[in-house]
Amino acid sequence: MIDTALSANDIWFLVQGAGWTLLITAIAIVAGTLLGILFGVARATLPGWSTLPLGFLLDIFRSVPLLIQLVLANSFIPILGIRATPFAVSCLVLALYTSAYCAEIVRGGVLSVPLTTRRAARSLGLTWWQDMKEIVYPMALRVMLPSWIGLTLGVMKDTALVGWIGVIELLKSSQILITRMANEPLFILCIAGLIYFLISFPISRLGARLEQRWRDND
Amino acid sequence: MKWMPLAATAALLTMLTVPQAFADKLDDIIASGVLRCAIVLDFPPMGSRDASNNPIGFDVDTCNDLAAALGVTPEYVETPFPDRIPALVSGRADVGVASTSDTLERAKTIGFSIPYFAFEMVVLTKDGLGIESYESLKGKKTGSVSGTYEAIALEKDVTAWADPAGSFQAYQTQADVFLALAQGQIEATVVTSTVAGATIASGNFDGFMMGGKAPYEIDYVSLIGLRGEYGLINYLNLFVNHQIRNGRYEELYKKWVGEGEPPNLMIPGVYY
Repeated sequence: MIDTALSANDIWFLVQGAGWTLLITAIAIVAGTLLGILFGVARATLPGWSTLPLGFLLDIFRSVPLLIQLVLANSFIPILGIRATPFAVSCLVLALYTSAYCAEIVRGGVLSVPLTTRRAARSLGLTWWQDMKEIVYPMALRVMLPSWIGLTLGVMKDTALVGWIGVIELLKSSQILITRMANEPLFILCIAGLIYFLISFPISRLGARLEQRWRDND
Repeated sequence: MKWMPLAATAALLTMLTVPQAFADKLDDIIASGVLRCAIVLDFPPMGSRDASNNPIGFDVDTCNDLAAALGVTPEYVETPFPDRIPALVSGRADVGVASTSDTLERAKTIGFSIPYFAFEMVVLTKDGLGIESYESLKGKKTGSVSGTYEAIALEKDVTAWADPAGSFQAYQTQADVFLALAQGQIEATVVTSTVAGATIASGNFDGFMMGGKAPYEIDYVSLIGLRGEYGLINYLNLFVNHQIRNGRYEELYKKWVGEGEPPNLMIPGVYY
């Protein structure tokens, strides 16, 4: 048996941290995807010049390192006089960050549907909405899914950064344990890594299965 | 947009500016019913976590006492050393109970109370490295926590010695420094005698030992608040005064540091 000062209590502390990681990931992915669909469809269908400011804004979220975004938001939001918990700040920043990436995925997906197909749909009398729902959505979904699963896994691991501003998620809780038991950091990090794996693996398997199933139907 | 120039200025000066205070902070704290203390939790015995990972330590108890005096609930905002002042300036915490040395440089940014504790610095090293005094650090690989009093003093001396074999490495947290020392990335660090005592006593690290006193001035540490909040700073001064007057200071010293005389917080021959 491995000789360690880690108690069942500490493992539970890590699991609670993993709970926060999952919650932040879920909020960021749901909000980020909804916003991303909105932004992505706008970028793909509206005339180019009208979405330039939006594209520029999303570029900022994609190009500035997430850690800097978190630290700046965590400082500026209180400076504006708004009392926000680090948890709320984390969810907000991660949701916007996710939406910036998701917008590009959605844009790519919508643009991957041949224009001729969409024109054919409209010629048959489908409305814009029907065209989006019955033609573009099923075809684009297959293109978007792998990238979206990748984004979800990426965001899940990016939540490790919110520990910096004081949310006790999985990585931060492992750091707290390391501070107390500073002589066994590698063992604690291995456990934290294992928990991350246990969270990500089912998501990536689910993605692969969906891909497989939809390919069979094509 | 009234806040635009404010946000822009703050961005330009990298959060070193103090936003205009429209209401008295002391009133705000009492009205909100919560006192948010910036506390460092990897600095035993001042701040650390117990077996259930709850915050404990001299600073945690001091924050609790201060909150009780104000009649509000304490809330701990865990800050690494370099984040103490940004946490206050950006309004994430109301006061810092974080063993902050009262340097004149920092006083340009934040306001200090009278000292509430004092540290002596010692060299912490591993046995077998031949480090017995502060002078023998010359030509050795050293490191400390970025931005702390002892790190600033140590880096200055390492630079002054100008020994090509010697080096100074800054780390983000105290835990990182201990790990670096344990793994041999550095050969010695300078820490407060309380931290050195607590770390050696913890038995977490084989071979850690003290390598003599560091010849720095006594490190007086103060509670911190926003520079312009005189009402709050006055209150903090009186609070520290009461802690010593009613024996709580000695009680907390015995609880967290051990038997013996707590450090004298009076600087002989001068008014504060």
